Amino acid sequence: MIEGPPVKPAPPFNMKFNLRDAGTLFGLILIVVVFASLTPVFLTAPNLINILQQSSINAAIALGMTLVIISGGIDLSVGPTAALSAVISASLMVAGVPIPLAIVASLGVGMMCGLFNGVLVAYAGLQPFIVTLGGLSLYRALSLIYTGGNPIFGIPPEFRALTNGDLMGVPNPVIIVGIIALILWVVLNKTPLGEYILAVGGNEEAARIAGVPVARTKVATFVISGCLASVAALILVGRLGAAEPTIGNLWELDAIAAAAIGGASLMGGKGSIVGTLIGAIILGALRNGLTLMNVQAFYQLLATGIIIIVAMLIDRATRGR
Amino acid sequence: MSSDRLRISGATKTYPGIVALDDVTFAVAPGEVHGLLGENGAGKSTMLNILSGVRPGDKGSIAVDGATIPIRTPLDARAAGIAMIHQELQLVPELTVAQNIFLGRPMTGFGGTIVKRHEQERRARAVLADLDPTIDPSVKINTLKVAQQQIVEIARALIDEAKVIAMDEPTSSLTPAEFENLASLIAALSARGVSVIYVSHKMDEVFQVCQRATILRDGKLVGVVDIANETEDTIVAKMVGREVLHATHVSHATMTPVLTVEGLSRADVVMDANLTLHAGEVLGISGLVGAGRTELLRLIAGIDRPTAGAVKVNGEPVRSHDPRAAIRAGIGLVPEERKREGIVHARSVASNMALPKMDNYTNAGLLRHGHLHKRAESVMTDLRLRPLNVRQPIGTFSGGNQQKAIIGRWLAASTNIFLFDEPTRGIDVGAKSEIYNLIERLASEGNAILVVSSEMPEIMRLSDRVLVMREGRIVADLASEKITEEEIAYHAIPRKEQITA
Repeated sequence: MIEGPPVKPAPPFNMKFNLRDAGTLFGLILIVVVFASLTPVFLTAPNLINILQQSSINAAIALGMTLVIISGGIDLSVGPTAALSAVISASLMVAGVPIPLAIVASLGVGMMCGLFNGVLVAYAGLQPFIVTLGGLSLYRALSLIYTGGNPIFGIPPEFRALTNGDLMGVPNPVIIVGIIALILWVVLNKTPLGEYILAVGGNEEAARIAGVPVARTKVATFVISGCLASVAALILVGRLGAAEPTIGNLWELDAIAAAAIGGASLMGGKGSIVGTLIGAIILGALRNGLTLMNVQAFYQLLATGIIIIVAMLIDRATRGR
Repeated sequence: MSSDRLRISGATKTYPGIVALDDVTFAVAPGEVHGLLGENGAGKSTMLNILSGVRPGDKGSIAVDGATIPIRTPLDARAAGIAMIHQELQLVPELTVAQNIFLGRPMTGFGGTIVKRHEQERRARAVLADLDPTIDPSVKINTLKVAQQQIVEIARALIDEAKVIAMDEPTSSLTPAEFENLASLIAALSARGVSVIYVSHKMDEVFQVCQRATILRDGKLVGVVDIANETEDTIVAKMVGREVLHATHVSHATMTPVLTVEGLSRADVVMDANLTLHAGEVLGISGLVGAGRTELLRLIAGIDRPTAGAVKVNGEPVRSHDPRAAIRAGIGLVPEERKREGIVHARSVASNMALPKMDNYTNAGLLRHGHLHKRAESVMTDLRLRPLNVRQPIGTFSGGNQQKAIIGRWLAASTNIFLFDEPTRGIDVGAKSEIYNLIERLASEGNAILVVSSEMPEIMRLSDRVLVMREGRIVADLASEKITEEEIAYHAIPRKEQITA
């Protein structure tokens, strides 16, 4: 009896650059080549850096989303989590609370939202889709109630300098997201938590019987996702110089798209930090290129949809069966 | 040979690197019950897939009643009168019996717009009357027992006017009584002129239902045999390609109690279970499917929540409903359904092995993959994992090797109480004896072992002592000299006066 695909030797564990990631990278290169040939401005250093910066918010969200998706869950509440954390940290800063403290508070808010989601999923046994759908309304409502629906202005310039600055020409948000990606890569590939996340998403029942702390693993992914939603919120607040309770609308969809393009399976058990990072850059590059070509927003949306679906079709076709 | 009901000539199928089926000819006479036998990997599934149009062959032709019919899709197979009954039944639980029987080709009126449910149920009832009149075609599938669901599948095949019904491991979740019922159904089908292809690992079943059998090995035809001229040993020897030795049982049991279970209960599934397991002892748990054996193991392993009772290891109580506490106490469960409960398919053997005690392989919170792989290699070398590549996804290994890897998981976690649930389910005849040897070796090294098995020869081969479960209770504790098939069956089978009592 033939069970599954024929046996092929697995690549070495350490620093493996898997085939799927190579495919995602190839997709990115293809998009870059196409736009470079269509508009000369595209392939210039300032514009490439611009793309990375524009992608950083989605990348931060998508990296957290990737861990949740690999564990077999989904987090639809990231946008409103970001909004809640943005308005709370902004109001603290405006009230004169020291910036580091406000940042910690912001991350804390995101982690609390994630904890709330995670506990309901892991201990109450509710479905992640429904729990975070509830969270999506809940956190949005809290941020609207907290601000009365009004934006918060007057973000201290010291904070804005933090997120708008750069290090040797590389914008700080890009560096921050790069560091986060590195940490999460280590978490996923080098720590017990990473093994647990992959095992829970791959086969929850088997993981439980093998002694994996399933509930704690799930909670951890949601807490990380909430925390990274806050990071994204801080980057946006710094860029805009204001915190609106309505930010983060539909962020969850972009994040899921980036993770899926990067090879994450919504069935769980599969996904890649590197892939998600490239996936987020693909979406960013696409929007940037289309904007440079003066393509209307409606058509940009169309192109995004097409890219996502084409990426999934290629993924399906190359995996065989 | 135009008298064949079904004839597959020169069937060949290759996958990259593997010849799954190599020029095999397979023929079934009208009304014949024909066994298709071989180890895992012999090509039985490939043959069934070709027959049912799921994965057409590269070469070869299929003829039904002498007429060559190209079968490229499952629809072609259905049109040709070939029906498949898979090991995992292909029914929609939330639909009714009748809806399932007519799934995909409903009886309709008004130009195909309206499904005639009453008409469907009437016809379903007519067909079921011959098979099992107790099945009501208007009830949902999920209210039926597995054996009855299987009958629904047979009814579906009959409504399709199937000439050949292929059954893949049809008894994997049936009780002995249900098998008897299936056997007489198969005889009735055969009497109606329907040919049956019977795929099974269980030799006693093959001998009871089949007239002839085609034996495959490594994708090649070994031969077609008349069952009447064979014995189990001669057939197994043909499947495996060598003689399989029968070992005799040697006990390593000591008097040191390791695991005690006191009044362990879960609702009406397991009731007041008491047992003591000693170091070096292999304690068999026998009983019918549904007697609560699997559930008892799951309670001991901390997977399900008990309603009463306690589990103690070396006299210390183990926190209930906490698999990690059980593992810390030295308990490891090798579950029955490997795919669903045992392995994380896409992860490597090493990762699967490390799950219970991941912290053993870390340094400052980071995994030391080199250390993990070395440990995995040494454990798996000892267990003779084939191929010996611990970085390869566990899902790509054969059932027997997956089982070895799961056993290796517990060896690496310093388990000393092994709970085996149907340890050789879905495993080749050849790999079976390897698993038996392993279990015996574990016992000889002083580990305490519980083995749940529905296979009598397995229980008798392995056990020093046998507990028999019936309807959630442990009803007998048989010492080695009393372990006979008759004795076990006597206790396992519910009797009327006891049901009413």
